[in-house]
Amino acid sequence: MLTYTLRRLLTAIPTLLLISLVIFLLVDLAPGSPLSEIPLTVPPEVREKMMKALGADQPVMVRYVLWLKQFFWVEPQYLIDGWFGTDFAQGAQRIISWQSKVPAFQIIGERLPQTLTVVGTAYLVGILIALPIGIYSAYRQYSWFDQAGTFFAMAGFSVPTFFTGNVLIMIFAVKLGWFPTIYDTQLRVTDWASFYKMIMQMALPVTVLALFNAAEISRYTRSSVLENLNQDYVRTARAKGMGERTVLLKHVLRNSLIPVVTVIALGMPTVFGGAIVTENIFKINGIGAALIGAIHVSDLPLIQTITFIFAVLIVLFNLIADILYGILDPRIRYD
Amino acid sequence: MKLKSALLGAAAAFALAPMAHAERGSDGEVKILYYQAVSTLNAYLSSGTKDVEAGSLVLEPLAGFDQDGNLYPRLVESIPTVENGGVAKDLTSITWKLKPGLLWSDGTPLTSADVKFSWEYCTADGGGCAQAAKYEGVKSIDTPDDLTVVVNFEAPKPYPYQPFTGGTAPILQKAQFEKCLGAAASTCTEQNSKPIGTGPFMVTDFKVNDVVTLAANPNYRDPAKPAFATVTLKGGGDALAAASAVMETGEFDYAWNTQINAEQQAQMAAGGKGKFVNAFGTLVERIEINMTDPSSALAEGERSTIKHPHPIFSDPKVRAALSMAIDRQALVDVGYGSAARPTCNLVPAPAFQASDNTGCLKQDIEGAKKLLDEAGWTDSDGDGIRDKDGKKLSILYQTSVSAVRQDFQALVKGWWNEIGVEVELKSIDPGVYFGGDAASPDTFQKFYADVEMYANNFDGTDAEPYMAQYLCNKIPGPDNQWQGENINRFCDPAYDALVKELSTTNGIEARGALVKKLNDMLTKDSNVVIPLADRGRFSAQSNALGGFVMNAWDAELWNAQDWYRVK
Amino acid sequence: MLDAGPQPLVQVSDLKMYFPIHTGLLRKHTGDVKAVDGVSFSINQGETLGLVGESGCGKSTVGRALLRLYEPTAGKVVIDGQDVASLTPEALRQKRPTMQMVFQDPQASLNPRMTVADIIGEPLLEHANLDEQGRLRRIYELMDQVGLNRSFANRYPYAFSGGQRQRIGIARALALNPKFIVCDEPIAALDVSIQAQVVNLLEDLQTRLGLTYLFISHDLSMVRHIADRVAVMYLGRIAELSPRDALYARPLHPYAEALLSAVNEPDPNRARRQRIILKGDVPSPANPPKGCNFCTRCPKVFDLCRTIKPDLIQAEPGRFVACHLYSNTNAGPTGTQAPISDNQQGVSQ
Repeated sequence: MLTYTLRRLLTAIPTLLLISLVIFLLVDLAPGSPLSEIPLTVPPEVREKMMKALGADQPVMVRYVLWLKQFFWVEPQYLIDGWFGTDFAQGAQRIISWQSKVPAFQIIGERLPQTLTVVGTAYLVGILIALPIGIYSAYRQYSWFDQAGTFFAMAGFSVPTFFTGNVLIMIFAVKLGWFPTIYDTQLRVTDWASFYKMIMQMALPVTVLALFNAAEISRYTRSSVLENLNQDYVRTARAKGMGERTVLLKHVLRNSLIPVVTVIALGMPTVFGGAIVTENIFKINGIGAALIGAIHVSDLPLIQTITFIFAVLIVLFNLIADILYGILDPRIRYD
Repeated sequence: MKLKSALLGAAAAFALAPMAHAERGSDGEVKILYYQAVSTLNAYLSSGTKDVEAGSLVLEPLAGFDQDGNLYPRLVESIPTVENGGVAKDLTSITWKLKPGLLWSDGTPLTSADVKFSWEYCTADGGGCAQAAKYEGVKSIDTPDDLTVVVNFEAPKPYPYQPFTGGTAPILQKAQFEKCLGAAASTCTEQNSKPIGTGPFMVTDFKVNDVVTLAANPNYRDPAKPAFATVTLKGGGDALAAASAVMETGEFDYAWNTQINAEQQAQMAAGGKGKFVNAFGTLVERIEINMTDPSSALAEGERSTIKHPHPIFSDPKVRAALSMAIDRQALVDVGYGSAARPTCNLVPAPAFQASDNTGCLKQDIEGAKKLLDEAGWTDSDGDGIRDKDGKKLSILYQTSVSAVRQDFQALVKGWWNEIGVEVELKSIDPGVYFGGDAASPDTFQKFYADVEMYANNFDGTDAEPYMAQYLCNKIPGPDNQWQGENINRFCDPAYDALVKELSTTNGIEARGALVKKLNDMLTKDSNVVIPLADRGRFSAQSNALGGFVMNAWDAELWNAQDWYRVK
Repeated sequence: MLDAGPQPLVQVSDLKMYFPIHTGLLRKHTGDVKAVDGVSFSINQGETLGLVGESGCGKSTVGRALLRLYEPTAGKVVIDGQDVASLTPEALRQKRPTMQMVFQDPQASLNPRMTVADIIGEPLLEHANLDEQGRLRRIYELMDQVGLNRSFANRYPYAFSGGQRQRIGIARALALNPKFIVCDEPIAALDVSIQAQVVNLLEDLQTRLGLTYLFISHDLSMVRHIADRVAVMYLGRIAELSPRDALYARPLHPYAEALLSAVNEPDPNRARRQRIILKGDVPSPANPPKGCNFCTRCPKVFDLCRTIKPDLIQAEPGRFVACHLYSNTNAGPTGTQAPISDNQQGVSQ
């Protein structure tokens, strides 16, 4: 398993390098200028100087190599400096957002907590809703519960989050005034009052995202449990005289959750990536909002850095999913 | 300069602050929403108006503009004029006198060295200062003593108030920014996000593109102000959600730039928690007419250049007909509601330089048809489209992607079709359209269309640089990487001469008269620019926020020190 | 033999197992797959009843319905004095140790995520009152009984060969000292070389533990080897139920005759039976023929067969057959012979 993991990690390096180049070229080729938000009152000569100050006038390959150096050499130094108070970086040029002139990693650091809190909670809640629904739907296939579950999953899948989000805001925040419409990223949970506030502001976005996540995972769970329910070993378990609870929870579930766990692991990068639409609707200002904001103003360094981190996460969680599969399913061995 | 009115304006602003709230920090927190989140508080590195606005809570210029567009002193004793000796008789220098005893929020004194440094900062090589135009023509700055700043110009400046005025040209603290000159500017993250200022508030926390929290500046010059102890400046969402947060849910006290359509405005107003405030500046939505031929049959580098005059629009009658066919009031009603008003002028304000030209406000379809007939464009084959010499009267009309602009396009197309003009519409991503990329065929500067629509304005109240955009030598073309500002390639020696005259004319009335003349030459006389709507600033103010005065000439937060909580 | 024999351990009467068919938008109940359609037989203590027939004839369904792994649609299954078909879930669970099953696919029937010890030991946890030590001892004992090396106890099923897996399955079935075991094609998925080993193991265990088997198989020669009596099924019904030697020597029912004609004769000196090739396909159990189920393919079909379903009647002592050929000769078309004893199939509709 260890050699397998190491080998996978090694092969990931050229893959990621290629991905980073492709992302860089794509982002660079995309139309748009980092100065499109600058008022027209700023004259062309000044604009030219601003482009120069950003380094945006350099050839694309020069900028790519510079970015590579900053990402893989300079930024880790700053990270180590940050942890141990050393000074390896010695003030080297970091990856700086064109729009805000703030280091890209500082932005990501500021954005990650709220994204992880909201999207992560939503993912967790989604899983907790999805598993029982999926299991019971499969167990009682074609019952009214299963039909309702199917409807719920279809709705969760097909109704876009911007619609559910806005409807929830309209009803529960604007009309009823129960929840805030704007997420306060400054809020720190220190006591029950602030905890209550946190719950209130998380309620709507978590609901929207959890519904969406639950829809997907419950379907996977249902089909996986269904597949296992008809297996002979389930019949064996029943023939052994096991109670239905043992049959379902011990025999069926343990086997049918293998693919579900994989799907859950593969979905993890989206937790870090944030939910672009939902974050914008609820003004959560997480990673997703940062990315879309950066795309709006063609903030190349920030787009490049965030998308590349996504790529790394996706590769990483693919590997984790594979390893999990190996751990959970004794039939699979990576040697 | 109308010094008297300036002083009166300032006095009026002070008078608005109620006596009842005469204690600093007594009103708790004020919550402000900028749906375009704040990226930096340093106006010199800003990438948009929102940053200048937010920075104005902390950083101050020497003088600001009040709600009527008059200069009023902020950090200086008075506004220098030729009359009071502050401006040299030959118009080559201006002397500002700082108020004595001013302190930065860190307790150190503000001196003339800081003022001079701000100029150095913005003009340093490699810094990419966004406001460099404010300091154009400045030769040197002298600081004879700690409180005196003398700005020397390279040539006589009839309008010497560009440097250090308005939210776009604030004073930075030299001690803080000393190491951030030139190329180092963008690496000074801490300084740019937490600048030390003289304004009513100081930054306590800055989360880029998310939220800025500020606290009352303990060293603010008026010991009774500001009334609010803290400010939360939140970003994110869109204009509609921002309006809702003030007008419907009351979560915020003020939301900037809530540009939504008339129907949504009415719906929000029904929320009853606040009101919309507007003020009209110089932002004019207009259709610019291409005076050169954008035909794709021409070679790249020849298209839309002065080598090829426009085959249709060279006739002023056609341009006039296009303008006459438009119902500007209808456009405003559909797109902006009370956030705009119809206009026939490129310079709609302030009053001293706004032409009284209103002739275009009434739609005249029949008159437009007649003009086209006169110009020789008739519908000879009966297909509803006029033609002349076998050529159809068919034009391409481009603008950026935006709900309002696409509405405008559709309406205008309808009217133009009515007078027998075939119109093809095109809408371009704003990032591309306004991006200025010389390699892209879709920038508004390249103008590969017959007519195009966008909005533009000028900084402050001096229209001279704005009018100078239409000089013959500012026409964009391949030789200047398409970076000229004379978008419609208008070229008239008489206009050039008049702009030259403006650049040497002193006195507000005389300058105003010249601007009016220039405005008329571009609009009603030649119709190369077809103004549509004067777009005001349009924001939402909570009923619980007092002392707010909308301002179209400076940052909307210009008088945050006077805000208070309505109880 | 039947009359003088010991008391039957298993008595099945008129067992029916229908699987509903739902069709259309609203999934209406529009019909049934009649997998088992009125089957009756009995198995005596210590006896092995072979159940043969081609795939899809319902023989596995009989096995599963017997142990109530399916809920039978109708009928009685009395095992060791209790009607399994009508027990409450809890009573059924308590009854389970008496009756066990060995499945066809040893791979699929073993939970891939449990070790051998867990698989064998799980029923002990549920039904036996043993401590950790006692359970382990019993697991080892069972492994010894089926010829598995004790050191394999902590391995997962995937690590074993097919024959070894089937031994695990048998050990698992034996764990609770059952009286009756349904062997559902226990050798079908195994290599030929292993088949004999497993069958011998089953026989061996039967002798040692006094087990009663229902041995379901389509392998006629293997059934001949292990079974005392054999029931031949066709399309959800029993066509013939006879003692082994009598059946193999002289099948009565035309279907049994056709089926057995396919068996290779082990002794080349004996005259080879004439192969009977049946024409046509087996009809769908959702829509069986009106008369005799076999009437569409029977070489000896006559008019009566197409209208009336024949009952299973005793044609010769100890031999039961469901065919009009025999009701004519032995009992007459009027059916004067009383419906056979209630432990055999007889009801039709």
